Amino acid sequence: MDGTLLVPIGLGIVVIGAALGISKFAAAAAEAIARQPEAADKISGVVQLPLFLLEGVAILAEVFIFLMLIL
Amino acid sequence: MVAANSSHSNQTVLEQVGPNIIHHVSNSDITHPIIQLPSFFGIDFSVTKHVLMLWLVAFIVSIVVILPIRKYLSSNGKKKSNWVSLIEYIVEFVKDTIAAPNVGPNWVMTWTPLFLTFFFFILFANGIGMIPIFDTIGLLDRFLLKTDSHSTINNLLHGGVTATGNFNVTAGLAAVTFFSIIIAGVKKHGFIKHWANLVPHGLAWPVYIILIPIELMGLFVKPFALTMRLAANMTGGHIAILALLSLMAIIGEMFSAAAGIGVAFVSIPMAAAISGLEIIVVLVQAYVFTLLSAVFVGMAINVHH
Repeated sequence: MDGTLLVPIGLGIVVIGAALGISKFAAAAAEAIARQPEAADKISGVVQLPLFLLEGVAILAEVFIFLMLIL
Repeated sequence: MVAANSSHSNQTVLEQVGPNIIHHVSNSDITHPIIQLPSFFGIDFSVTKHVLMLWLVAFIVSIVVILPIRKYLSSNGKKKSNWVSLIEYIVEFVKDTIAAPNVGPNWVMTWTPLFLTFFFFILFANGIGMIPIFDTIGLLDRFLLKTDSHSTINNLLHGGVTATGNFNVTAGLAAVTFFSIIIAGVKKHGFIKHWANLVPHGLAWPVYIILIPIELMGLFVKPFALTMRLAANMTGGHIAILALLSLMAIIGEMFSAAAGIGVAFVSIPMAAAISGLEIIVVLVQAYVFTLLSAVFVGMAINVHH
């Protein structure tokens, strides 16, 4: 098997990892808001930061895969 | 984009599509710039497509944001147009939701102007990239004006550009964040204590051997992630739209022209839907860059490990 055949599979694995992480966060946030609806704003504010960092991980993986395929 | 190229080469469509998409989102060639400028210290300062878009965005932001605010302030708050009310809403949003919780009430007035600059510049740069100015000029040029292939108009072409889609632009913005973090920490704690605050105190000494290189790497990885996040989000959205639209040409060549036209009924609504998604991404990415800069500056000011 050629090396470049495995590169998109690696990207898929990274994206699966990021999607699992983000969905866990969203589920935990939804459950926390369901327990205490008054704290909805605070919980959303706290959850946003790790959410965007995780999304950044997936985007960084895409960029590196692109570079690996081009260079 | 494909219509703007008056290409009669004998390459197949499949071979032309990839380079076409890449030309659309990347910078124009430095050897054929739009305005030729001299080189200082070995760096060629000629104006290419992305630089022109940068200047355009800066010009538009200053006219649209700075001038109405000055007019409102100089009339002592009497004449408030709707547009200034909208700007005031955004300013309050950035100050209360992004700056104040992260930086702390003592430093809000120091750092909010920087975050507002980030927010407005990135919002306008991303948004202007969604407007297909250069595609429209290209169509006009191809069918109406028919200038030759190295004229100024043709140099401007090959696609409308998102200024923040170029990772050098976002690297410049992230460099501002990098130095802001250092300046914020030095202003609050003094020069040596800021660097001492990089690691938590009171740990056993073998932990520091691992922790200090990790924290030093983190210093550089955080702005690097900021650059790549913004640039890749902007470029990726445009590439997705272009790939969908190129599907028509590819299917038209592989099967028949009628099949290509049939695919258009799927491809163009999908491209419109993804453009709508792009508008959400434009807003979110401006917000995320500003929020993360505020969080990093706040982490340098209120050190809590």
